[in-house]
Amino acid sequence: MEKTRAKFRVNSQDIELDVDPMTTLLDVLREQLGLTGTKKGCDAGDCGACTVVMDGKAILSCLTPVLQAAGKEIVTVEGLAQEGRLHPLQEAFIECGAVQCGFCTPGMLLSAKALLEQNPSPTQEEVRVTISGNLCRCTGYKKIIDAIMLASNRMKK
Amino acid sequence: MNVVGKRIKRVDALEKVTGKALFADDLRFGGMLYAKVLRSPVPHAEIKKVDTSRAKELKGVRAVLTARDIPGENRIGTLGAPFRDQPVLADDKVRHVGDPVALVAADSKEIAEEAIKLIGVEYKELTPVFEPLEVMREGAPRIHQAGNIVGHRKIRRGDVKQGFARADVIIEGTYKTPFQEHAFMEPEAGVAKVDENGNVTVWACTQFPSNVREEIARVLGLSLNKVRVIQTVTGGGFGAKLDISVHCHIALLTLNTGRPVKLVYDRPESIMLSTKRHPFIIKYKTGATKEGKLLAVEVELIGNTGAYASYGPAVLTRAAVHTTGPYNVPNVKIDAYTVYTNNPICGAMRGFGVPQVAIAHEAQMDKLAEKLGLDSIEIRLKNAFDAGSRTATGQFLTHSVGIKKTLQEAQKVAAEWKRDVLRNKEPTKRQGVGVGVMWYGIGNTGRPNPAGAFVELLGDGSATVLSGCAEIGQGSDTILAQIATEELGTQVENIRLVTADTGVTPWCRATSASGQTYISGNAVRLAAINARETLFQQVAVDFKVKKDQLYLDNGAICVEDTGQKIPIAEAIKRCRSLGILTLGSGWFNPQTTPLDPETGEGNPYATYSFATHLAQVEVDLETGEVRVLKMAAFNDVGKAINPAGVEGQLEGGLAMGLGCALMEEFVVEKGIIQTPNLAQYLIPTSLDMPEDMSVNIIEESEPSGPFGAKGVGEPASVPTAPAILSAIYDAVGTRITELPATSERLLEAIKGKSLEEG
Repeated sequence: MEKTRAKFRVNSQDIELDVDPMTTLLDVLREQLGLTGTKKGCDAGDCGACTVVMDGKAILSCLTPVLQAAGKEIVTVEGLAQEGRLHPLQEAFIECGAVQCGFCTPGMLLSAKALLEQNPSPTQEEVRVTISGNLCRCTGYKKIIDAIMLASNRMKK
Repeated sequence: MNVVGKRIKRVDALEKVTGKALFADDLRFGGMLYAKVLRSPVPHAEIKKVDTSRAKELKGVRAVLTARDIPGENRIGTLGAPFRDQPVLADDKVRHVGDPVALVAADSKEIAEEAIKLIGVEYKELTPVFEPLEVMREGAPRIHQAGNIVGHRKIRRGDVKQGFARADVIIEGTYKTPFQEHAFMEPEAGVAKVDENGNVTVWACTQFPSNVREEIARVLGLSLNKVRVIQTVTGGGFGAKLDISVHCHIALLTLNTGRPVKLVYDRPESIMLSTKRHPFIIKYKTGATKEGKLLAVEVELIGNTGAYASYGPAVLTRAAVHTTGPYNVPNVKIDAYTVYTNNPICGAMRGFGVPQVAIAHEAQMDKLAEKLGLDSIEIRLKNAFDAGSRTATGQFLTHSVGIKKTLQEAQKVAAEWKRDVLRNKEPTKRQGVGVGVMWYGIGNTGRPNPAGAFVELLGDGSATVLSGCAEIGQGSDTILAQIATEELGTQVENIRLVTADTGVTPWCRATSASGQTYISGNAVRLAAINARETLFQQVAVDFKVKKDQLYLDNGAICVEDTGQKIPIAEAIKRCRSLGILTLGSGWFNPQTTPLDPETGEGNPYATYSFATHLAQVEVDLETGEVRVLKMAAFNDVGKAINPAGVEGQLEGGLAMGLGCALMEEFVVEKGIIQTPNLAQYLIPTSLDMPEDMSVNIIEESEPSGPFGAKGVGEPASVPTAPAILSAIYDAVGTRITELPATSERLLEAIKGKSLEEG
């Protein structure tokens, strides 16, 4: 397959690499950049485990052709903590017991990050709607919603 | 207590929120090959010929293997002989769509996929059988040589004939429960690597590393110590990661190629191959006095285990033991059959047969209450076990019988909710409140299932704890760390856990049967005490006191009354200076007895958990749609080692129960799965769960448990679906006996009912 040069920013770093234009952003993140924190749960856009933030919006990286990310700013779970300090969402997920098996966690965190950037004071219902594309089989979602509400409250201060 | 009973943060949370936790698919090795499996497209056929020559010629293909390339035994099955019936690669026959026929390892995934298409298989199709009742008939096509019925568990107590003769009221019902897909978020994955000495290491997700090692060793013809299984961070299991998935295949391929080999299932493969919840057909007959006291229960259970046994006979055995529900029934006759069909394989799924029978025994209780004009919770209280009660297998329950407490707590809440329902009346909607209860034996059913642990107290007072226990998301690492911390009188930060690596950790039972807190928890506790005793012995000598005068407090060993104390780290150093090592080991096996094959008599479990769940629903009469408005769980867990962890289990259990009751429909037609991805097989999302979800921990201490603990993983989910179905009946007077209660099914039932009445 003919490779194409692609440029984008991932977790505040400029990236330039040759990609197969048919590849998804998910596969490039995981296989070429070694950013395995982003998970492949279904590769069909059904489960939300591959959610990353692209130019401020939560997207499904398994449905995003890598060239669509060209010139864009991408944040993955590896880019949430800044200078060794956890993002308030990460802290809240730990504190609220929102993590069980951890496979949906990166996607949940990124969906929540995009929400709080657009809407710093979401209602519980808005949080519920936002993460409705992120499946979790362990938690029943309650502690995840609690964690996002807690992080939102803290980030406003 | 210092940390037991506290809401400490999960020990694995940090790596999971930072993306650093390594799941199997996150591992990379130099020179790694990618595997792919050729699978049967037909449900039942003889294999006449497999031609791999073209695949082998493809550039970049490093191995193409068939059954003939297996150096050891080509059969697996977690229950062991005589239930070891599943080929690693099909030899004589294929028995379901998806049976593995050949393996490829290649330089890339793409090449492996290409090579698979080049393998030619000649099948001679045989008549498939999909329906359990059909397969049980005389002359039905045989799926396995030994016959189509793979298990028949009997339970006999008292005299049911006499019981029914004395009964004032008899209630009968037939219930059908469907396949259920685990839908854990992480599809099965693993990497295997052979070293220059022929030792094989497998990194993979699993719930049962000790067994994976044994299966691989047998299939590869290697001694056990040459196989090392390291459980990677596992993204949920719920029972289906108890079975072998990628493990033997990648082990065969690495042995054959000398290179690391990775195999990752895509979601349709995971849905096709992970063992499902057994569909049950349940015929249930209950006899009771007019006061509502149960006199007799006679039940036939038929469980469809699909193409291979997996855990089937054990699931049906557990189901049979729990069929009466947590109720005193003097006369019991239960027959539980496990049958093969050419369907996807069924095995362990959260609850292990008990969710199915709970749907039946709870519907029966509701019907009985209605017939006798009794309150649904009162009738349960009237029949519920107490300490001193005897179960259907003749076991005396001596302690930690919390069922009535859970019911009494639920009763107060249910009364409030019922008032609420009366207030909310809309013309096209009906609300109702329902209750479901359950009991659940902790650990395997009348079979040994021990776990071991090692503890080393290090020179600075920190400690290493080795346990074979597989953390699959349920929180066992945190629980074990808390237990070790408590017994060693230290802080959680000072404990380093090494778990589920058969190269270094001792044998451990599976993460199943809600048993790791009770069994591995006890093993770790005993190992910690064992290590601590060495310290105490020396300190007692040094202080010239008796060992039993010593106790731990805030990082120090103290002497009762005298005020003498020494920091633990100092005591360890003192031991070291004398050449004494502070090592501990321990193991625990629950005290059970096997069930009698003819009567089922025995003590299958050392302890039981109990629970009552409530649901309040709203049914839309025009669409049949059910919205769950409120849910509450009341679970007797013995002791919550970590209440936040228990809550997490309960909330997740409620979600899975809701899915089972209302939405999860696994469709198989002629052996072919019609719900191959998560777009067709729907599990609850955040929008399906009610905001009002309360989980309540009840602690009826279990003397044999670590700090009184029992278990919660499966009890968290078992009574949920019965409560929702009961609430639907309360709302619209329609009893759904075939799950799930989808809007179509419910609408049809509501219409049918109004026709009957009209």
